[in-house]
Amino acid sequence: MKKILFFPVIASLLVIYFVMSVFVLPEQFLEKEQLISQPYFEAKLSKSEISLGESTSLEIKSKNIGEYGDIHIVSTAFPDIDNTDSIIKIVSYDYLQSPIFIQKGDEISINYSSGLEKSVSKYPSIEAMSRPSIPNVPFSMTQLITPQKTGVFQIYVKSINIPHVNESSHFPNSGNMDHQNEFVEKFEIFVNP
Amino acid sequence: MVSETKLDTGFMKVNSKKFFLLGSFMVSFGILIVTVGGSWDITNHLLSKPETFFSPPHGLMYTGVAITLFGVSISAIGWKNLQNFKREYFTSIKIQILGIGLLTGAGPFDFIWHSNFGLDGLLSPPHLTLITGMFLCAVGGMFAISRFLKFNNISNSLSYLHVLAIIPVWLSGSGLISSLSLPFSKTDYFDFNPEIRFAFIIATIFYPMIISTCLFLSSKLSNFKPGMFTILGGLFLLIYGSTAIAPNFALVDSLIFYSLNLIPLVVSDLIISFDKSKKSLIFVGGLIGSVFYMFYYPYVMYTYNEILLGKLVSPSLIDYVYFEIISQVIVLTIIPSIIVGIFGLLLSEKIRKKIHLQ
Repeated sequence: MKKILFFPVIASLLVIYFVMSVFVLPEQFLEKEQLISQPYFEAKLSKSEISLGESTSLEIKSKNIGEYGDIHIVSTAFPDIDNTDSIIKIVSYDYLQSPIFIQKGDEISINYSSGLEKSVSKYPSIEAMSRPSIPNVPFSMTQLITPQKTGVFQIYVKSINIPHVNESSHFPNSGNMDHQNEFVEKFEIFVNP
Repeated sequence: MVSETKLDTGFMKVNSKKFFLLGSFMVSFGILIVTVGGSWDITNHLLSKPETFFSPPHGLMYTGVAITLFGVSISAIGWKNLQNFKREYFTSIKIQILGIGLLTGAGPFDFIWHSNFGLDGLLSPPHLTLITGMFLCAVGGMFAISRFLKFNNISNSLSYLHVLAIIPVWLSGSGLISSLSLPFSKTDYFDFNPEIRFAFIIATIFYPMIISTCLFLSSKLSNFKPGMFTILGGLFLLIYGSTAIAPNFALVDSLIFYSLNLIPLVVSDLIISFDKSKKSLIFVGGLIGSVFYMFYYPYVMYTYNEILLGKLVSPSLIDYVYFEIISQVIVLTIIPSIIVGIFGLLLSEKIRKKIHLQ
């Protein structure tokens, strides 16, 4: 190849490469709309009123009804107890990762910050998790609950998808808040003597 | 009458060269499989957080280890029966044996570690043993293959076999650099994450160096066969693209961006085929060094994010954060990476002389 042609060809190729790689394509990718995954769940208690010593089961079905996400989490928390031993038992579970038992006093993420803001847990909870979060793939978990005191036994249920982009990245979007300063759906079991 | 043992010995002596070469190719191929499995394993950990040792990427990695072990055995038997150049091949067989010792020892070590401390991060004592073993085996295989091609005056199209000898060195060396620079090593039990400034320096120096050294070495060992940069570099991009980018649904679009990296490789080949002067080679060294941030897309972002943004990056946001900091990273690293790229050219010459016993 003649020098007169060679150098312009090489220079043009390098200009195309660096301009595309460092300026044009990054700009396009940054303008691209981010995928937003959206968690949703339905939960029901088999019995909402029981006698002391009896058990009731909480069945949760959840899925990502939005776009592809990294992690789909469903959390159940128990504000009236200090530990889950002999009170909460997972009967069935089909999420992709093993459930995590969080004890009172453990470090927890707050404000939907995915771990950037932290606090200390005031009561125990269980986190079910699927990674990655493929749209419309259903998961379920059933917990057997055997309260050990009479009165009202509360359960907080919520679901969060990561990355947490906006308010559709968590469910519910309003109502009661838990110790993580995040919205929850509250379930109550009335335990009679 | 000739005894069976003597016949066996005679057969070995006649075919010792073939055994030695075949074994060395198996070592290189085995390490290639291990590195492909390793890169896939990192992606699998990021996306799916596997909870068991028995995952498909681990299966692929240990298949590679088995091939390598078999290769080293054949290579050692071949070497023992060599009639010529036995002393010249000793270094390569010694490195291969040391490497396979570490590699096979790392398997049970890793399993015991997993059993006691759960899943480990990228950098852990068993993983460091594994990666060092991989690197040594790859270097031993490369020395053996390259010396064999040189001693037997093979300079036709078979000299493209240098690509198979060098790609495992590049990939396993990259694994070593990644384990010392990526923040993927914090677990419930240990925090082996590298200090962020140390990680920045390691990545900025050693990624450009290994790209430049491997590409120039392939070109020089093959006596500047045309297209060596494109073939070897293209293979690296293909492996990295298919194990680190394609499995992540959120990154598939960026394969177009990643494939642009073929341009500097083609340009380097064109320059070298047109003019092999010192000036041209220095220019190519600087060019190849300067593109390391694009070559090591996407995970290299994690190292620079730590020092520039400190963001928590979930897998589907990798491309977003990568492109957010690309200009800053280029500004900070362009000069050192060019210098190190040129240094890679000099280093490749030293290694070539060592391989060719000059």
